[in-house]
Order: sequence, then structure tokens, then C-alpha cells
Amino acid sequence: MKSREQEYREIFMAEALEYYNAMSRHISELERNPTDEPSLNELFRLMHNLKSNSRAMGYNSIGELAHHMETIFGLIRSKEKTFTGSVVPVLFTGIDTIGEMIRAVGANEDMPTVERLLDNLDRLVRGEEPILEEEEDDTDEDANRKLELSDLVYIQIKKLDHLMNLVGELIIDRDRVLTLSQEIGNPALLMAATHLSRIADELQYSVMDARLVGVGSLFSKFPRVVRDVATAEKKDVELTMVGEDIQIDRNILQIITDSLLHLVRNAIGHGLETPQERVAAGKPAQGHLTLSAQTERDDVLIQVQDDGRGIDVESVRRKAVERGLVAANVAATLDADAVRAFLFEPGFSMAKEVTEISGRGVGLDVVKLAIDSLGGQLRVESVLGQGTTFTLVLPTSIAVKGALLFQLDQRNYAIPLMHTDSVVSLQPENFNVVGGVLLTRLQDENVPVVSLRRLLHNGDGPLPPAVKAEVEGRQDIIIVKYNNRRLGLIVDRFLRQQDIVVKPMSKPLDTIDLFGGVTLLGSGQVCLVLDVPALTRLFLAKRP
Amino acid sequence: MKNRILIVDDSFYMRTMLKNMLTDAGYEVVGEAANGQQALEMATDTKPDLITLDVILPDNTGLDVLKGIRQEQPDVKVVMCSAVGQEVIVNEALESGATAYIVKPFSEEKVLEIVGSALQESDSDQA
Repeated sequence: MKSREQEYREIFMAEALEYYNAMSRHISELERNPTDEPSLNELFRLMHNLKSNSRAMGYNSIGELAHHMETIFGLIRSKEKTFTGSVVPVLFTGIDTIGEMIRAVGANEDMPTVERLLDNLDRLVRGEEPILEEEEDDTDEDANRKLELSDLVYIQIKKLDHLMNLVGELIIDRDRVLTLSQEIGNPALLMAATHLSRIADELQYSVMDARLVGVGSLFSKFPRVVRDVATAEKKDVELTMVGEDIQIDRNILQIITDSLLHLVRNAIGHGLETPQERVAAGKPAQGHLTLSAQTERDDVLIQVQDDGRGIDVESVRRKAVERGLVAANVAATLDADAVRAFLFEPGFSMAKEVTEISGRGVGLDVVKLAIDSLGGQLRVESVLGQGTTFTLVLPTSIAVKGALLFQLDQRNYAIPLMHTDSVVSLQPENFNVVGGVLLTRLQDENVPVVSLRRLLHNGDGPLPPAVKAEVEGRQDIIIVKYNNRRLGLIVDRFLRQQDIVVKPMSKPLDTIDLFGGVTLLGSGQVCLVLDVPALTRLFLAKRP
Repeated sequence: MKNRILIVDDSFYMRTMLKNMLTDAGYEVVGEAANGQQALEMATDTKPDLITLDVILPDNTGLDVLKGIRQEQPDVKVVMCSAVGQEVIVNEALESGATAYIVKPFSEEKVLEIVGSALQESDSDQA
């Protein structure tokens, strides 16, 4: 059984190290903000506890140093001294020395001598200048200091990218080995392949996990941004942040940084009203902006929400017609969601008047493109007079996506599930032709349908008008959804749903923007991954 | 019947030491609080006979806790635990109704002597 003395010693050590770590943190904070009251209070309290505990244990030299340090922090706290000039290096040395002393206790070694440090602390209390050591002495001490390695490793994201690519290839080979072993049918081989597959899976998730960072690492930059923009725009804004702990791939966070900045600036500049306008509208003078993150299945949702003037759907509808983005008779039938989707159209961002009337529209197409490049979605909801919410739906990780596999002309293709709305098989009587476009009715909505073969191989001109006679027999159709628009793609045959590792196209094929990349199937066959945003845009540009 | 004691100190080391000393001497330690909020809650919940109260706590000063406890439980004995150099606070604590005080670092005999006499004060009050 442990003696009580031993128990006390262990508790003392654990707590002293904890105190030392907290002291280091607080003094660094003090260096940034020399009058930070919480840090001063904590430093004072921690020194006080260390002093009491050390004395009770009989470690009088630690107690003595902590007592001196406590005195100075007490004087700074009561504003009799300031954390400036020569006070700073002496106190930093003091905390470093405390760390060394605690380590000496733990290792049963001799305590470092502290006479000079105590003398300097006394000088500070008396209001005299301390005698600071020469640099040379310092390096000498550094050389003798016990080195302690942190449990954390900083790693270049480039190295993690490389690791991720390798894992991607491994996953493809895993599927291949698994398929082959099933074909060969040797039980031992099959067992080995299954084991390999499990290890590869775990490796993949570990590497993905290593790349995750808290959304808070980006959010934390926003209080400053909001303050600056609000001041410049003469708005009174309160920022609330929720879900800083939500984890997401570091590169995704990097890619959305500008978009988020843009949305926040927009929300303050155009979304929120001035205090006078708000009061006149019967709202609190202070506007409210919320940045939030949450997980939804495998996705991460990031929202920018303001309680400002909201988007005027009718004015957006008018402008969309004026800009020639939609015919007037069609525009009249669109619901509010479909109308707001025009805000993300490239032509729309130039419409200055709309910006002033609706409060929205500047450069949202750029945001949209950034989110598209990640295979994510951008949504907007708004109530006139009450506020607007932009939602970024992002994958947690960029490496692996769920995809729907299908065949067209004996070739395999994949469509990311993120953009897949539904899969249907329809008979010829389910189709109508309106204005040269094939339509089918799904959940009370007319959805245009196009043969993917025709869309991919049509060349430069517009698509020929569809005729009902070309639809023969049952048709397999994938309904994709992009920017609130649904489009049916006729394919030859559905294959299956599968997680795929998308690899970017190599040059010179990387200019073909209809394909987001390639993936290798377990059978070793190459499979092209379709880019739904690009396909939708192509259809809109070429429809008859 | 054993006298019931609540320990309030933000240092786990101090709490452990006090608890061992008091338990060995036959007292019942009914709770250990590490901050002012906990102290007030546990004082209400456990209704101790005596509270040892550290003068420096993370969220409140011990003095605020003392005043809070006094309002609810005028009879509980409170022994302030302080270090050298906090005479001003200790003095204020005594004026605000603390029963006694101990100066850290303390010996076992000193703790038991002060706690014992503080509790006796309570017995003689009731007699």
C-alpha cells in the first residue's frame, strides 16, 4: 500500500504541474494583453496555491519563489505595478524556474538556485530595476535545461495530402484484391483479403481523422472581422458563434474561408440595417449575426444567419427577367426558393440596384463556385423583414464520397450522391414534351429530362428538340439536383451505390469540366465521375 | 455523534490533506468543494456543523462565500484558511462572522486544535 506521504507527493506533483502549465498560458495571455484581469486573478491564485502546497510539503524554496511571484502579481492586479518593461522578463523567468523546480522534485534532483531571481523580484517590489542576466548566461542555462517534448506534432498539410493520396490508391487496390479473391475463391486468400480490407479501412479513417480540425479555428477570426466591418458600415452587431468544436477537413475549411468572409461581410453590409432603420422597423437597435456549425449525417452544415431586412423575392424575380436569366412567364410560376437561387447566377452579381433593394447579390456566384468545387451545396432561406440564412453544406472529408454508379454505352460512370435527388424508372406514358424539352412529373413538379448520351455527345450547337417518339420502353433516370433545380438524366443501366475515391483528372484531360475526376473500380475499370453543376449548366445553355 | 465538516479549497492537495487529518481525528467530512459556487450549494445540501473555507477561490473570494453562507446558515462555524500576508482579509472575515482562522502551512495539531475549539464554541452556545 502506498504511504500517505507518497500519496501527498503524487498529488502535489500532479497539481503543481497543472498549475505550472496554466501559469505559462496565463502569462502568455498577459503578454498580449498586459491588463487582462482574469489572467492576473488566476496567476495570483495559482501562485498562492503553489506556495501553500509547497510549504506544506516542505519544499520551501518553491514556496519562497511562489510567494515572491504572488506578491508581484498582486501589485499588478491592484494596479500598483504594470506588466511592462523589465517586469516582463523577470516574471517569465520566474515561471520557467518554477517549472524547473517542480521537475527537479519529480526527478529527485537538486533544486536550481534562485537567489538572483528572488533578489530581482525584491527589487521589483521596491521599485528598483532588476539586474538582468547576460544572454550568454542564458544559453548556458538553456543547455543544461531538461528538454521536454510535447505530445503534439505539427505537420505540414502537404504531407497529409500525400498520405491521403496513397490511402486513396490503397483503397482502390483493396477493392481490386477483394474482387479478385472472390473470383478465385480460395478461402485462405479470401480471409487475407478481408483482413487487408479491414486494415485499409481503418487506415483510411485514421488519415482522414488526422486531417480534421475544429471549425472554431476559422470561427475565432470572426469576432475581429465583425467588429471592423460593423464599425466601417456604422452598424451595431452582436455576433454569436455556435458549434466551434465541430470537426472538418482542414483543406475544406481553407477553401471556404473566403466564402465565409464574404457572406459575413455581406450580412453586415447589406443584410443588417442601421440602428435607426431597425428601430423604425420595430426591431432591437442591435443587429444579430450567428455563425454556427453542426453535423448532419456525414455532412457539416455551416450557417451565417442575420436578423436583418431579408431578401425581397419579388425584386429578385423582376431582375432575373430583366437580366434575361428566365422568361417572364416562367419566372411568374417559380416559387420563392427557385427565385432566390438566381442570386447565385454569375449574371446576377453585377446588378447593383438589386444589391441595394434586396441587400444581396454581390459576388455570391463566387461563393457558389467554391462550394461546388468541394461537392457541397449552398442554400439560402430568407423572410422579408426578418432576416436571411445562408447554409453551406460541406462534406466532412474530401477524399471519399458516396456515389451512384451507372452504365452508358458500356462505360461506367459515377455521380456523387450529394447531388443525387432520386432514381426512377419510367414508362413512355410518363413523359410529355413542352417546348422541345422532355418533361416528367415528379412530386407535383415538372422535371426536365434529357438523354445523358445526347448531352455528352451533342457538340457545340443547341440540343435538337425532343420528340416523344424517341422514348422507347422503360427508361432508367437519375434525378440530379443543383441550385434548387432538378434534372433527369437518362442512362442505360443503374449499377450500384458505392464509396469512391475521386482522383483529379490528369492533364490534358483536366480541362473537360463535365467530369469532376476519375475513380478506379474494384474490377480495375476506369470510371468517370460526372460533375453535376457543370452538367446542369450545360443543359441550361443548350436546351432547345 | 460525529461532527460534520465541509472542506472548501481549490487545491486538491489541500483538500486531501485536510480530509485525512479531520477523518483520522474522528470527524465526518461531508463534502469537498473546489470553488465558491460548489461551496454554497454543498453548504445548503449537507448542512455541516463546520466549514473550512479557503480565502482565495477561483470564482468568488472566500469572503463572498462566507457572507453567502452566513445569510442562510447563521449557526454554522466557519474556519478561514489563509496564508501569511492575508491579515487584512482574515480580519474582514472575522468581522463578517468567521469563527476562527488557520494560517497555511498548518500542522495537524494546529488544525485539530482550532477546529475543536470552534466546535466547542457551538456546543456551549447551545447549552
